[in-house]
Amino acid sequence: MLHRRSLLAATALGLASPLAAPRLARAQAGSHVIGTLFPMAGPNAEYGGIFTSGIQLAIEHITADKWLQKPIELRAQDSQGTPQGGAVGMTKLANVDRAPYVLLGFTGVSKAAAPIGTRNKVVMINGGGVGPDLAELSPYFWNVIPLVNQEVQAMLPWLQAQKLLKIALVYVDDPLGTGVLAELKNGLPGIGGQLVGSFSIPPATQQFAAIAARVRDSKPDAVYFASYGAQQSQIVKQLRDNGISQPLLTYSGGSIPSVQALPEAEGLVLSGQAADWTRDDAVTKRFVTDWRAKHNSEPTAYHQNYYNGMRLFGLLAQGLEKAGKPVDGENLREEWLRVKRFAFVGGEGVFEERGTMSMPMQINQVRGGRSQKIA
Amino acid sequence: MIAYLLNLATLATIFGILAASLNVLIGYAGIFSIAHAVFFGLGAYAGAQLALQFIPDVLLACLAGGAISAALSLCLALPALRVRGEYFVAASLGLQMMAVTVFSEAHALTGGHGGLVGIPPATLFGADVSGPAPFLVFALAVLGLLLLAVRLLMRGSFGRALMAIRDSESAAEAFGKDVRALKTLAVALGCAMAGVAGALFAFYMAFVNVESFTLEQSILVMAMVIIGGTATLAGPLIGVLLLLLLPAGLSFLPFIPPTQIGAVQQLIYGLAMTLLMIFRPAGIAGGRR
Repeated sequence: MLHRRSLLAATALGLASPLAAPRLARAQAGSHVIGTLFPMAGPNAEYGGIFTSGIQLAIEHITADKWLQKPIELRAQDSQGTPQGGAVGMTKLANVDRAPYVLLGFTGVSKAAAPIGTRNKVVMINGGGVGPDLAELSPYFWNVIPLVNQEVQAMLPWLQAQKLLKIALVYVDDPLGTGVLAELKNGLPGIGGQLVGSFSIPPATQQFAAIAARVRDSKPDAVYFASYGAQQSQIVKQLRDNGISQPLLTYSGGSIPSVQALPEAEGLVLSGQAADWTRDDAVTKRFVTDWRAKHNSEPTAYHQNYYNGMRLFGLLAQGLEKAGKPVDGENLREEWLRVKRFAFVGGEGVFEERGTMSMPMQINQVRGGRSQKIA
Repeated sequence: MIAYLLNLATLATIFGILAASLNVLIGYAGIFSIAHAVFFGLGAYAGAQLALQFIPDVLLACLAGGAISAALSLCLALPALRVRGEYFVAASLGLQMMAVTVFSEAHALTGGHGGLVGIPPATLFGADVSGPAPFLVFALAVLGLLLLAVRLLMRGSFGRALMAIRDSESAAEAFGKDVRALKTLAVALGCAMAGVAGALFAFYMAFVNVESFTLEQSILVMAMVIIGGTATLAGPLIGVLLLLLLPAGLSFLPFIPPTQIGAVQQLIYGLAMTLLMIFRPAGIAGGRR
């Protein structure tokens, strides 16, 4: 009969034994170790899965094309979506796994990981967060996604063309929301428009009836909302339920399936980097074809961004291997500064030294539960 | 690997201080607060602002963090004096929710959701102690001093009176103990220690935002104390080692695929916690019940 104490000891031993394994501390000398630092459990685990699947497709393409002399080995750390989890995960990826290149997401995680990555000269790639405070976070922190201020700038000419000049803004009171507020405040007068109302909301709020009443009073031509995650669905639904019939506008954060599937989201206009899956360039075509074949679904902007993030490593490492240089963070940055322009899914990505990237942008509209390019 | 171990050890030390501080409230005074992350946060913001605005001296930051948290502990002490048990838990939950809103909205002091970035490297009397090893030594020294203080206090008349209140408030009052003063002091002591931990956390992370001071953090610290064993000096430290290091250790399991790492870790982690609570309900250091 198994004694209680024996069972407890066996459990402890079972948990501890992998810690003693010699494998843990070494990155394989014969591979390029790439780290990921995403939430892989809990309420944000969906994002971790989405981000990782984009990376995996890029690795398959890099491997199939034999770009690199050594295989790529993916090491995942669960950031738990928290700064503390980000700091612990980044320390392990930098010091134990010796990953020179880490793909991450979420603003809090990015900010906590950035000093650690910078100290260890690890290149960090963000393809999910669009808050303007992610620019210039570190010389080693690059965004493969246009930040939200770039998205708002791209939407202004469309608003002018549609004569939607009086805008009301509902925004989360964080760097993302305040970034949108600043861009609209500065940009609308330039197209003859004005911000007729701006209403801040806490990130966890789920009730918007009162906000809807105030939005209605401001008599806007269109309502822009800047939020993220599940809250977006509630904003769309409750604005419509409370009689807001004007066009709704948002940034690329609204491209998640839970928003687009809402009947109330029909007609929602959203900006984003070019994600035209009918494009004729070879990179986009291959990504879209293989994605559809593998997942039997349409790719999203997040898949595209992290695919591009991984593809960027392939391009940089290929250049370094050809030049006979070691593939480490310092050399990757040097190569990145030298090249600056890369062929990505969706078009050419052009980086600035502050770590931001400009890309062709487009305006989409939700029609029949799917985003379709309208401008 | 050394750097990673130093990182884990430093975080464990900081959380050791935090758990020991909550143990003063839960273990010795019987005050079940689920707002402890608030005082951790107050210390972190105080330490970070001191470093950003004036001087990045970690000792001064710890003192400032401790003082501010102790001063604002009155917010917790007031309901603790009026209600007990599940009623106090509800009151502290309200405080926790209110504080998260304040942390999110007080942009000038906390940076809002964006937080405070670029906290300068820690110094001690002008010497740089921001390296992993010196910072760990400093944090360990702070932990040692605070544990010694707790041990001395809890073995004296203050500690005995607190434990009497914990076991029966009415009986302690009948024996002439000043329940209000003792509870207020216990809350101030526990919150001051949490503030010290917060200041160390701010320096170590070089970034603080509201996400580190949520209800989840309060519950995690409470779990550390309960699983380790309340009213013992070693219990909270054991709880910290288990709850902080177990997930880190599980990330070394070679057979977990990258996309499933979080879910598998959570399953193993949850199972281990359940087994521990079945076989050691009084906590690991709490003896058998």
